[in-house]
Amino acid sequence: MPDWKSVVREHLRILSACSPEFTETIVEELGSHLEDSYEEYLRASMTEEEAFQRALDEINHSRKKWLALRLFKEDIMTAFARKIGLPGLLTFALAMILAWALDMAHIQPKTILLSNGAFLSLPVVWMCPLPVCGALGAIVSLRNGGSRLHRRIAAAFPAIIFGTVLLLISIAGYAISIFVPNYDWNWKFVVCGLGLWGFGYSLLPAIALLLGSALVDHTKTKHRTAA
Amino acid sequence: MSSVNAQIKRGSAELAVLTLLARQPLHGYELAKQIEVQTEGVLRFDMASLYPMLHRFERKAWVKAEWQTLANGRRRRSYRLTPLGRKQLGPLREQWRTFFQAFQNVTGFQNA
Repeated sequence: MPDWKSVVREHLRILSACSPEFTETIVEELGSHLEDSYEEYLRASMTEEEAFQRALDEINHSRKKWLALRLFKEDIMTAFARKIGLPGLLTFALAMILAWALDMAHIQPKTILLSNGAFLSLPVVWMCPLPVCGALGAIVSLRNGGSRLHRRIAAAFPAIIFGTVLLLISIAGYAISIFVPNYDWNWKFVVCGLGLWGFGYSLLPAIALLLGSALVDHTKTKHRTAA
Repeated sequence: MSSVNAQIKRGSAELAVLTLLARQPLHGYELAKQIEVQTEGVLRFDMASLYPMLHRFERKAWVKAEWQTLANGRRRRSYRLTPLGRKQLGPLREQWRTFFQAFQNVTGFQNA
């Protein structure tokens, strides 16, 4: 009897990039399917060689890459949602609720006027509880099997979103400057403004959020050492 | 039997799989065989269509998969419809019924 699990592993190598448990499930499941096909071909009076080739054709046809990619996507999407997407959204929602509550309480960001006329906006009060938000996101990611990198991304999710929005604004502004005639694109002003906003609303919050994630990592290591 | 457009096949695949699983738990090979036999070969699932779909259903919690060990030690992954999957089946059937009814009204196929 051919080793159908090895056949599947050999033909769907891309699955090695999936999580080990998903790969094992797929390899055993598809291997079992091929074995069923093989046995049916034998019952239909084919020789062992013919039956093997016919069963092999089922996984070895032109769509084998498609099969692997779709299974890969199913696993990645699940893993992404579980380990990064949901915890990241939780962190983002908590950070936004905090910002909204502070705004309702008329607690404004601290504004520092710089010598060149620009100003730096620092949401100091908002940043204080951000480590807690980051820690919660990291805990959810950890519970869902997230690695250290997953936990960090989930924790820093709000800062990543803000950074991305700032980047998109700068790209959109640049595009407008190209296509709109007589549009005065002041690079110095724009870069300075985006840099300051990026510092106050992306970089510093990221540090605060990652601090929460680091606390979770530290606690986890401590527990492991104690165990 | 004339060939059926690929998009119609794809669209009907979900309904076919969920309907069969509503009757009894089945593993992938059985599912593929039953669909092929019951549709006289019009619908034929290859592995590239069937397994990603089953795993998608599992992720949506429409089906639950369980390993079954055969007497010879081999394991098969059997799928059964969950109450959530059963809930999806009703509206899906209704959508297809409406679609075919509308299609028949236009083409008069039932009298052809």
